[in-house]
Amino acid sequence: MSNRLSRVSSLVIVSLTYLFLYVPIVVLLVFSFNKERFPAPWTGFTFKWYNELFHSLYLWKAFANSLIVAFFATLISSAAGLCLVFYAAQGGRVGRYMALFYGNLIIPETVLAVSLLSFFSSIKIPLGLTTLVLAHTVLGLGLVVPILYARYLELDKKLTEASLVLGATPTQTFFKVTFPLLRPALISTALLVFIISFDDFILSYFTAGSSAQTLSLYILSMLRSGVSPVVNALSALLLFLSSFFVLLFFSLKTRVRIF
Amino acid sequence: MKSSSSQIPFATGAPALIWQILFFYLPLALIALSSFIQLSETGEFEGLTLSHLTNFLTPTYMKVIGSSLLLAFSNACLCFMIGYPLAYFLAFSNKKYKNLLLFLLIVPFWTNFLLHIYAWFYLLEHKGLINQLLMSLGIIDTPAHLINSRFAIMIMMVYYYLPFMVLPLYSSLEKFNYSLIEASLDLGASWSNTVRRVLLPLTSPGIRAGFFLVYIPSFGEFAIPELMGGDKFMFVGSVVAQYILGEGTGSLGSAFTLLSCAILLVSAILLFLAIGWILNPRRHRV
Amino acid sequence: MRSITLKNLSKSINKQSIISNINLTIPAGKFFALLGPSGCGKTTLLRLIAGLENADCGQIFLGDEEITHHPIHKRPVNIVFQNYALFPHLDVFDNIAYSLKLKGLPKEVIAQKVIKILEAFHLEAHIYKMTSQLSGGQQQRVALARAIVNEPDVLLLDEPLAALDFKLRERMLIELIDLQDKLKTTFVYVTHDQFEALTVADQMAIMNHIGEIEQIGTPKEIYEFPHSSFVARFVGTTNILNGKLRGIDQEPEIEIPELGRFKVYMPHKREWMKEGQDLMVSIRPEKIFISKKVPPNFSNQIKGVVQSIVYHGRSTQYNVILANKMRMQVFEQNEEHFAQEVIDYDNEVILSWQKENAVLLEK
Repeated sequence: MSNRLSRVSSLVIVSLTYLFLYVPIVVLLVFSFNKERFPAPWTGFTFKWYNELFHSLYLWKAFANSLIVAFFATLISSAAGLCLVFYAAQGGRVGRYMALFYGNLIIPETVLAVSLLSFFSSIKIPLGLTTLVLAHTVLGLGLVVPILYARYLELDKKLTEASLVLGATPTQTFFKVTFPLLRPALISTALLVFIISFDDFILSYFTAGSSAQTLSLYILSMLRSGVSPVVNALSALLLFLSSFFVLLFFSLKTRVRIF
Repeated sequence: MKSSSSQIPFATGAPALIWQILFFYLPLALIALSSFIQLSETGEFEGLTLSHLTNFLTPTYMKVIGSSLLLAFSNACLCFMIGYPLAYFLAFSNKKYKNLLLFLLIVPFWTNFLLHIYAWFYLLEHKGLINQLLMSLGIIDTPAHLINSRFAIMIMMVYYYLPFMVLPLYSSLEKFNYSLIEASLDLGASWSNTVRRVLLPLTSPGIRAGFFLVYIPSFGEFAIPELMGGDKFMFVGSVVAQYILGEGTGSLGSAFTLLSCAILLVSAILLFLAIGWILNPRRHRV
Repeated sequence: MRSITLKNLSKSINKQSIISNINLTIPAGKFFALLGPSGCGKTTLLRLIAGLENADCGQIFLGDEEITHHPIHKRPVNIVFQNYALFPHLDVFDNIAYSLKLKGLPKEVIAQKVIKILEAFHLEAHIYKMTSQLSGGQQQRVALARAIVNEPDVLLLDEPLAALDFKLRERMLIELIDLQDKLKTTFVYVTHDQFEALTVADQMAIMNHIGEIEQIGTPKEIYEFPHSSFVARFVGTTNILNGKLRGIDQEPEIEIPELGRFKVYMPHKREWMKEGQDLMVSIRPEKIFISKKVPPNFSNQIKGVVQSIVYHGRSTQYNVILANKMRMQVFEQNEEHFAQEVIDYDNEVILSWQKENAVLLEK
């Protein structure tokens, strides 16, 4: 019975894949509590690496920077995207410009990062948090605009027509009908942009300069200086944070088609 | 909804467009342009030249580009071979498990990727966990050379890019009308025939999307090869980083970027067409 | 073509029993209809025969051959899905040719067969169109053509006309009857629409809400002589009177409280028929005569008051209230433009029927 065989083999593939995805993570977590530094095997349970982590000033500075950049990038790109949809809702012809935003998919991030670096240095903007925000917003736009616009197109036109028929102006219709309908997609996309910005490495590597350090760059510096259980502790923390965000995303119960 | 377009100023829709043009297309255009610009030692504009570009038309650099293409392609293929069954399983599994499995898939996806590199480093290093385990079990005497190898790079690439392949595939498969598979089986096609003739062709948009989301970024990847491969392997990303961040080699860096990008795009188009051709071969009219 | 036999077939999904202990023989070469309310398990039964589901227990036979564990693609059974399941990436020709290509037949033979069937279904003009460009009726015919071009032993149809409008449905029903007549393939037609079932079937089975088969017979047998109140109510409309059986040895009658005694027809005594037994009597509305005066020669009469009148074109439906507050429906064919007697709202009327037109049902 080939059906049963394919079911078993797919179960095997799936389990192996998930195992592959999680073994490194679990190992990392477990050894964040190990008394001895790498590469010693398990010697005992301890919280001291977490302690060291929480007292590291540089870490928290980097963490804060990442948060700030992610926050502003998300804010600006979401606002810009929403404005674009508002314009479209009032009858503006936006469709032909959509192709512009697919560029993010065609160009590797390294190329964009390098271009932005040259650009910033040629117009003499000092590298730092500002340039990071400018760069990450581009990243965000590439996601927010296509997704929000696509979602807008999927909305039932009859809903806005009903609103207009009942006496609302186009602007009122947007805020009372269109926006609430778009809100779930907006929130989940904003969440996505936030995470992508927060975890971003390549853009930050090139556009942060020496003054600002994001979490990714901080981790890179720690990696360069060798393996340390403090990084394990950090991983555990960030994993916990990510899980929280994913849970949030799932609880939104939106069937947003990201792809 | 066409009446009021004149009343609302274009300015409302403009911010996104302006930003995109200013911070995406303009920098790219500048990079493209600077590949052709010849500057004197003092930074004065001297003229246009192709020398920056031709500088890279050598076997060494072509090899670098070639290995990046190969890396990107093999990564995409591996991710596809692992990702498609996974996405299929996810799409057609029981509702109660589906959310849990999706959750488990996305959590690593949303965790900082450098930490993943660190995790695999931990496992694969000379004195890392895998070697420790193998040695303590007596399977090997000296630590196996796992890190700083193509193997390590490949593992990390697949590890990181797998969700990029799985999610569009999942999206495509979720919308798939299962009765089409039943119809195919009912009409006499075996499972493999059904996959080949019905499932794959009809999920080709998702397959294309998945390939793209893996192939293109993989090409420009430099962190993973550098950290997992040491300095032994040269890929496009590392060369670009070297030149751009170096002193006075800005134009060269731009030129190489332009060249690699062009080659990437051409290969991407070919890949796009090839996937279409493989999945939906045009048959002769009888 | 071969017959289908189901033995002790049971299937549950998610711990809920869909069908249990089904025993059924579908005769070879006939048009068989499976009628039942939505959710009764008739589609599940069809899918079990096709192999799309696996039974929990029981056996399925095609002729003498047991096919219970045969995989889907090995069974010479084809199914026409409710949503047609036409391959959107293939045109009409390739959809129909699908099963033939799998058999490895030479291109010329395939083309010949496909074109022949397209002509039979009047679809030649659409041969290279994509299926999304066709109308509902055309898609339905392509689905049908695809399922019969490789000459299966059995054709299963899962509510194939559900998506079509009334006139088209009527036409397709006739075409299906002609098709089955010509091909002599065993057709199994599943529907919840009794009109469809009665029209097409040589033989039919009625399934109830819990997945049991209530009655098997020809459409006429089922309509005129239902075995249970479920069948009587589900197929067509009927009036059901509850009462007790009296006078079982001389002149059998049903005694209904407040209404009196009415003669019943009992050609054969059945085991459950005893004096004083609770029973039901089913009288089809078209078999009742309605008038203002008492007509001669009817075995049974009842007085009532007309509550509502519904005009159906071919017939008029009268809803009449009886002395015991029960309602009875009467269908009267509109034979004449100008009727002799006009019955109006709140009129007092007499309902009459012959004892042979009432069917006894066990309670």
